[in-house]
Amino acid sequence: MRAMIGSTDVVLDAAAAYPEIAGLRAALRRRDWPACRALLDQLEPTARSAALQSCAGELGLEEFLRGVLAADVTDAAAAALLGHHLIHVGWEIRSGQYAKHVGARQFDRFHDWLRRAELVLIDAAARHPKDPAIWTARLLTARGLQLGLAEARRRLDRAVAAQPHHLPAQLQFLQSACPKWDGTWEVAHEFARDAMLAAPPGSPHAVLVVHAHVEHIVGDDDTDVVRYLADDTIRAGIYEAAHRSIWHPEFRRGPGWVQAFTAFALIFTMLDDRRSAATAFAGLGTLAAEYPWNQIGSDVSAQIREARAWAYEEAV
Amino acid sequence: MRRLEVDGIPAVLAPVTGPAHAGLVFRVGTADEPLARRGITRLVEHLVTDGLDPAGRTSWTTGPEHTWFHVQGSPTEITEFLTGVCEGLRNPPADRLAEVRELVQGARPERDPLPMWRHGARGFGVVSYPEWALPGLTEAHLREWISRWFTRENAALWVAGDEVPEGLRLDLPAGVRQAPPAAARTLPLTPAWFTGGVGWDTVIARGPEAAVFANVLERRVHRDLRDLTAQTRTEYVPRSDGTARILIVAEALPEQSEAALGGLVDVLAAVRAGQIDPDEVASVVKLTGEGLRESESRGARLPGQAFNLLAGREVQTLEEALAEVRAVTAADVARVAVEAYDAGLLMTPPGSTAEWAGYTAAPAMSDTVPAGRVHRGRRDRALRLISGAEGVGVTGHGVVAAVRWDSCAALLSWPDGGRHLIGEDAVTVRVEPTMYRGADRVVREVDARIPERLRIEMPARDRDRIPQPEPASGAGTGRLYATAILCGVLALFLLGGGLWILVQSLAGPGTGNPRGEDVLALAGSLVFGVMLGRHGWTAGRELGSRRS
Repeated sequence: MRAMIGSTDVVLDAAAAYPEIAGLRAALRRRDWPACRALLDQLEPTARSAALQSCAGELGLEEFLRGVLAADVTDAAAAALLGHHLIHVGWEIRSGQYAKHVGARQFDRFHDWLRRAELVLIDAAARHPKDPAIWTARLLTARGLQLGLAEARRRLDRAVAAQPHHLPAQLQFLQSACPKWDGTWEVAHEFARDAMLAAPPGSPHAVLVVHAHVEHIVGDDDTDVVRYLADDTIRAGIYEAAHRSIWHPEFRRGPGWVQAFTAFALIFTMLDDRRSAATAFAGLGTLAAEYPWNQIGSDVSAQIREARAWAYEEAV
Repeated sequence: MRRLEVDGIPAVLAPVTGPAHAGLVFRVGTADEPLARRGITRLVEHLVTDGLDPAGRTSWTTGPEHTWFHVQGSPTEITEFLTGVCEGLRNPPADRLAEVRELVQGARPERDPLPMWRHGARGFGVVSYPEWALPGLTEAHLREWISRWFTRENAALWVAGDEVPEGLRLDLPAGVRQAPPAAARTLPLTPAWFTGGVGWDTVIARGPEAAVFANVLERRVHRDLRDLTAQTRTEYVPRSDGTARILIVAEALPEQSEAALGGLVDVLAAVRAGQIDPDEVASVVKLTGEGLRESESRGARLPGQAFNLLAGREVQTLEEALAEVRAVTAADVARVAVEAYDAGLLMTPPGSTAEWAGYTAAPAMSDTVPAGRVHRGRRDRALRLISGAEGVGVTGHGVVAAVRWDSCAALLSWPDGGRHLIGEDAVTVRVEPTMYRGADRVVREVDARIPERLRIEMPARDRDRIPQPEPASGAGTGRLYATAILCGVLALFLLGGGLWILVQSLAGPGTGNPRGEDVLALAGSLVFGVMLGRHGWTAGRELGSRRS
């Protein structure tokens, strides 16, 4: 524990937490699709969706994956990854900024890439309606192409029909449910809470509740952060969420665990609760995810390092 | 099933288990109506049955290609009704025209916007338009229409019963058999989309595979859209020219139209990708077979056989029809699905597009406007009305609409001078004299160019329905004033300053030539002064044009 506390490392790479991602990445760089499939096919659906999404940024995948699909049009994993990759390229063009800061030409090119992704994914969903990774990717296209909240909800429904409580899809839907896209704060909070309560205790789904709060705090100019975080109901809801997930005896280091600890580390830091933040940081060790820390500043590592040191001050 | 002839009219007859019935069908429907006569067939149909007081159960219907009169009852009742219809066609009760017209106007047909986007303002597309012509139709119009379409050669009869009722006389004037309506096509590219509601249609080769596909699609749409729609409706409509139309209309629940569109897109993509369940095909085939048998026993296959006679096709026995349907496989259905998808026209709810799903926007505008004299918009110089030797058009604010004189489907004419020309491609040019300068001249040209038969006189419009130029917005005007004044003042200042430098340097003591920095300042003043002056002048001109 002490050694960990002393560490100044912040490892944001998902591959460090999920070895399958490292393996998948290596196989992709070798352009060895059978090895990719061998890895992907043994993953449970949530880990598979997360792994596919996390490899979206690998360079030059389009030609390779189109080749894979040309040889076998029914390869669902190749289609999902190609979809994620094309979405990633588009989103890089758009940049993570708010819509008002994005130029018209940027938007056109962004939409163009998303349309290319969506065409791949429409066909994939037609052939594999029970593949939640495809529906997860289609939640991203639905959002970027502004197809509306009802359509996003339909895609979420298809994903959770394929696997109940499919967290990667729920995380994407939560974004659509925020006012910056197609929703309202009421819709976002209600969805997050319902999804958490529906999932088995000890599962990481409480991360949705925290994400909704962070989005609300940073995404709404009218929100008085101090007053928001002083609200007893909100505080109680956050601690309840922690008890249902990272503090629950059944909580496991399965898919989503890094995201859960990361989110709670942030919200407890915001709540000025060192002891609770320290439990989240301790759970993470040196690991962390970028989101939602990247919502409050661009240097995620520095922020985490600082918050972690602060949280540990009393513990040392 | 027997083939026979009654008073020169081809007929099919088959015994039935239930009550006897019969029908007289003509090869005429809405697809035969020019837009300027839209509604005339329905008016004829109602007029000739108006005076009848039938004892049996009767109905009459105008479809896209066929108009039929149907009666169920005793042989006497059948004879009375059909003979009465023929009598009505020979001598339409003109004295009843006004009342029947009102009746017909009161019962408007359901609007189906898809055909207009596929076929334009002609043929099968006409059904998408309101029946504007109804008020202006005269007895002469009706007689002319009847003499062309409601003739012995253009009719067929079906009798569901043991014998043709004794004493049945079908006394119809002689004429010619009419060819199937031409399926004109306006859509350059498919699959295409336009905005209207949530729906889809396609036109493919007709046949048992297409019919089974339509049923498979219907079940799938119903299943996948059940939670998002109040109801969905799928129709399979065979056409005389050997094609068939499949139509899906989805009535989305409130706030669910985008999801209903997404669901429909996915169903279509799934069938196109060959996701056809062989078990489902088998059960549809089985149900279709049962339906055919049941229809045969009630005589419900007879109308279709009579339609076949009018199209020059042979009648098909139950066994032949069953064998055809039984032969349909999942692979056949998958093949039809690809054809159907490729020819598809998707209707998206307001605010939604379908580019994202790989559909091309159906053209809503013209590519160009024929050259001609330009009339600018009142208070809006961006608007242009152009009238030339080839046609008339309007442009402005991203809209380009043109109708060539020789491809005008109808001209709507209002007493206030408003003229709307609807092109055969369904593009509308609105010539509104209130909107353009000197447009009265264009109205006269339109009236001279468009033949009387294409003209529809519209009832007077309320004042607030006549379009008026947008009053120039206050903010915009204010900004223009500010620009004009500010630029003017700055221009004067700079030019004045430049002049001052010039005077100073020329009159300056001890130097024959102006210094370098003076020249630079002079040049800068001139350049910026002229630029600002031009800017202010443009703003002033725009203000002037808005006032006019």
